[in-house]
Amino acid sequence: MVSEFLRLAAQSILHRKLRSFLAVLGVMIGIAAVVGLISIGLSLEGMMKGQVSKVFGVDTFVIMEEDTFTRGHGGGATQFALDLPTLQRVEGVKAVAAIRQRTAFVQGGTGADGKAAQGFFPVMGISPEFSTEFKAFAPETEFEPGGRDIEEGDVDVVVLGAELAERLNVAVGDSLLIAGEKTSEMTMSVIGILKASDEDESQGFSGGIGATEDTMYIPNAAMDQLWPEGNDYLVTAVKILPGFKVDDVADRAETALKAEGSRVAAVTSGDINDFIDTLLGSISVFLAGLAGISLIVGGVGVMNTMFTSVLERTKDIGVMKAVGAKNRHVLSIFLIESGLIGLVGGAIGTVAGLLLSAAACWAINTFANLPGGVTFPFVVSPGLILVTLLSSFLIGALSGLWPARRGARMAVVDALRYE
Amino acid sequence: MGLLHLEGVTKDYALGKTVVHALRGLDLAIEKGEIVAIMGPSGSGKSTLMHILGALDTPSEGSASLEGHDVGRLGEDELVTLRGKKVGFVFQTFNLIQTLTAQQNVELPMIFLGVGRRERAERARSLLEKVGLGERVKHRPNELSGGERQRVAIARALANNPEIILADEPTGNLDSETGATILDLLKRLCADEGKTMILITHDPDAAAIAGRIIRLRDGRVLEEVRHG
Repeated sequence: MVSEFLRLAAQSILHRKLRSFLAVLGVMIGIAAVVGLISIGLSLEGMMKGQVSKVFGVDTFVIMEEDTFTRGHGGGATQFALDLPTLQRVEGVKAVAAIRQRTAFVQGGTGADGKAAQGFFPVMGISPEFSTEFKAFAPETEFEPGGRDIEEGDVDVVVLGAELAERLNVAVGDSLLIAGEKTSEMTMSVIGILKASDEDESQGFSGGIGATEDTMYIPNAAMDQLWPEGNDYLVTAVKILPGFKVDDVADRAETALKAEGSRVAAVTSGDINDFIDTLLGSISVFLAGLAGISLIVGGVGVMNTMFTSVLERTKDIGVMKAVGAKNRHVLSIFLIESGLIGLVGGAIGTVAGLLLSAAACWAINTFANLPGGVTFPFVVSPGLILVTLLSSFLIGALSGLWPARRGARMAVVDALRYE
Repeated sequence: MGLLHLEGVTKDYALGKTVVHALRGLDLAIEKGEIVAIMGPSGSGKSTLMHILGALDTPSEGSASLEGHDVGRLGEDELVTLRGKKVGFVFQTFNLIQTLTAQQNVELPMIFLGVGRRERAERARSLLEKVGLGERVKHRPNELSGGERQRVAIARALANNPEIILADEPTGNLDSETGATILDLLKRLCADEGKTMILITHDPDAAAIAGRIIRLRDGRVLEEVRHG
């Protein structure tokens, strides 16, 4: 009997084309907003997780200051104390690379006025392993002609940003002096000058490893000599040996470091993904809630259409009941009708929402010029589509419930008499 | 006991603040195969009587039975099923569903009784042929003339092969010539198929096809006349 009712409902919808279209439009806009916003949220998630997995792979985790992810501050890394050899001894650890940061007095070449250029500048200590074991962490850097990157075995060498090199009046092959703790100081030879980039891009995730133009980079071997007390770590990346599980090694590393008094946390890609999920989850719920309001408006539109439809067909209801329709038959016919309006609106709305999201991804990828080859993937979630279609039918049917019940409960004699 | 049996039937209903006593103690028996005309001025209780005879409504007091079923004691769903199987209605204003074709309108009563698709379609087409609309099964009501619409309604009334045809002013919206052919058709079908027909009418021409005429006034039977 359902197929007959479906046909009756469809014929009634087609008979009132304009009004049905407007009701469908109301649902469509609501569903398009929901699907569009959720899909864009999924794209954002895909982009972020894609970046995480590109940097981390399956065999890498990082050590960060304990509260970096829980305190919710602006994303800047906090310095912490760490004993690198302890970390290297943890079972399953293959390689470790760290970034340290200090501000130091630096003296460069002699200027035109005959005086040495000098000042306080940020100095970053880099493990040479970044360019061997952790390539994903270090973005491609370009050097001025004749320059090179820090390599394994280097100690008294320095790489500078182009702007800084100019201020310190040094070129490749020159040397400069860095003052460390107490009276320690080292003379470093300039081995590379970073090419000034066209655009001012900061490499978000890697926590300042990227080429910023007013920083100088020295090997951690030199950092150890200048500042023996290792309490200035920003990030430490750890790669594990094959056959070990990243979570197990991360747990062991955290335990071992905490036992030494370091206030650190081992963060795996799983932890970061969880963090992304929490962050985007609440944003998505908020956005979907906003879009949901338009869906409610759409539902009210369906309800209005159905009330009119029931009123208009009062006599038809009387006739159907006179020729043998039970209350539940009449109820079903009207519910299917409003459900169909919802479903059609939902189907068109889903397509529109996906197009919206595809257009947004395309626009972001084309015009926003994201750094480092980051792309916004267009995500089509079959689960989302299924849930949307189901719920749009339900929204339609629910909106039609009240009008349909009124129609179904009408006394046959009164309905027949209705003009 | 007759096919339709009314005993001491009263029907009151509220109209605003007043109570209308539409039927005031009515006894009536109709036998299988009879054609009965019910006549009377407006407000005499004709329509209310038709509602009760057709199991569309139940009496306030007294009993109304259809083939031995006391309609006052049936639940709503049972009443609907009884009506769907035993009574076919023909209305003054045709009351076809505008969105459906002639054939779909005729199929409608069968849908609610759960008759299968093929059987339904076959029966609807043969009924439409019987009323002379074999060529117009795919037409919608607004594409048909008044007489043709009433023919569709007659075919619909016969859909579930009911015992009783209840026709409420079937010629009221038709010109006299068309009205006459509709009355002929009704009479012929009732004779051919052995149906009982109750005609509610103002029209003496219409009443002339009946074997018995019952005149109502103020909710009571005023007189009963039997023809040949």
